[in-house]
Amino acid sequence: MRILVCLKQVPDSTVRVKVAPDGKGIVTDGITWAISPYDEYAIELALEHKDADPATTVSTVTVGPARARDALRQALAMGCDDAAIVVGEASGLALARALAAFVREAKPDLVLCGKQASDDDQGFVGVALAEALGWPHVATVTRFASVDGGPAGSFNGVEVWKEIEGGHEVWRATGPVVLTVQKSAKEPRYPSLPGIMKAKKKEIPERELSALGIDTSAPVAEVIAMQPPPARGNGVILKDGDTAALAAELARRLRDEAKVL
Amino acid sequence: MKIVVVAERKDGQPRRVSLELAAKARELGDVEVVEVTGERVSTGATAAALATVAQGADLVLVGATPIGRDVAARLAAKLGRAYASEVTELAPGDPLQVTRSMYAGKVRATVRVPLPAVLSVRPNAFPLPDAAAAPDIVPVSAAPEDGLAFVRFEAAKSAGGRVPLAEARVIVSGGRGLRGPENWKLVEELADVLGAATGASRAVTDAGWRPNEEQVGQTGKTVSPDLYIALGISGAIQHLAGMTSSKVIVAVNKDPDADMFKVCDYGVVADLFDFVPKLTAEIRKVKEGG
Repeated sequence: MRILVCLKQVPDSTVRVKVAPDGKGIVTDGITWAISPYDEYAIELALEHKDADPATTVSTVTVGPARARDALRQALAMGCDDAAIVVGEASGLALARALAAFVREAKPDLVLCGKQASDDDQGFVGVALAEALGWPHVATVTRFASVDGGPAGSFNGVEVWKEIEGGHEVWRATGPVVLTVQKSAKEPRYPSLPGIMKAKKKEIPERELSALGIDTSAPVAEVIAMQPPPARGNGVILKDGDTAALAAELARRLRDEAKVL
Repeated sequence: MKIVVVAERKDGQPRRVSLELAAKARELGDVEVVEVTGERVSTGATAAALATVAQGADLVLVGATPIGRDVAARLAAKLGRAYASEVTELAPGDPLQVTRSMYAGKVRATVRVPLPAVLSVRPNAFPLPDAAAAPDIVPVSAAPEDGLAFVRFEAAKSAGGRVPLAEARVIVSGGRGLRGPENWKLVEELADVLGAATGASRAVTDAGWRPNEEQVGQTGKTVSPDLYIALGISGAIQHLAGMTSSKVIVAVNKDPDADMFKVCDYGVVADLFDFVPKLTAEIRKVKEGG
């Protein structure tokens, strides 16, 4: 099976995000960048499949600025076979079209994306990629398995576990499909030392977004202002004393002051 | 302005968020409330069925439930429309101005959305008026999607008929301070008297004490209930990002330096094994006393 994982480089989840003075973005000076967490889960799902079936290949691609090469390097170090970068800035529908152009050339059996990037939290691009390709998609996937049959090494479809409220739906895709990946039971692996050494030597082919010849015009939602969430704090702290009395006081305050009971 | 609200049912009834959106949409313009009928219809098939009715609408509103978010994204892509997900505030006009969180809740963004547009809207974003008339829901039927078929449903072991986390007005969450899954009764009993959903910190879901779908915070759910009670959760930045937009936050922790105390409205420094059963009893008294 040939798997392509689309990934995005985002500020590491431990970064304390600060809004830039113009209010339209965040301060990026000196921050640590990382693969978006759900994309890492997608890589892990793909690599688990490769562990079980060595005939599987796992490729990765990103559309983004040149620094996003570091994210691809990380994916290679985790065990992906190859990586490619499309250099340029695109979001929303235009980004989905760019990825679709790449997918049409690469012809993978399966495309995996994180269910959302941890910067814009839109949860749009993976789904829009499926639409641009005319493929079905399954969202919030935690697991997939090959459907047996057909000649050895051929793609015969996948069964896919989709997390929904109260459990999992199992869906069967008979042809190429886009999966958007949810956090799954297994944490993404750390790169091994040999993996890191190997990744350093791998070429990461590059092309320009403008060379893909896609239509980048699309109506977009535009961020015009960013703020930190309203400050909280100065809460009432209850301590020292009989816990039964503390419990009674908290219940009273929740009823009379906060009016939430 | 012509607005289509995509309704979703749970246990046969329209979901609360669908009613919230129908009521909000009536303030904004002419509303048609629709739902795609049939069991286990794929997202692509749902979006294709909705595309016909949504074609002429200036605005499509979908509740940001797990299913709704997915359908809204596919529909926006199919129609080639501007899209914003998990909106929490909405000011009318063209462009619309909406508020949504980014960076897993670490940033609140004001976003300009040109019409026509599709939005998924978070539960509890708009109040549901007590007197809101039940909307007429127009059924839309879907054709099966090529290349994708439903096989079966596998129920989660712990799904105990509680309120879904995303829509809950009250959430009781537990962290590592609970010491083990065998102590979850404390969380559940408090949740039961409050009619609350139960949540968990990442440490807890990673340890396998609770299923992933209960995780609150980055790589879990972002929630904004009226009341969020954190039991034994220290308050890692990734967890805080997912719940600091709750209206009232209560923290219970033995450690007075826990970061959760810095964001809470009410904090109790106490041993939760001693304190929580007493709180449950007190709240039961309040609830029964009316």
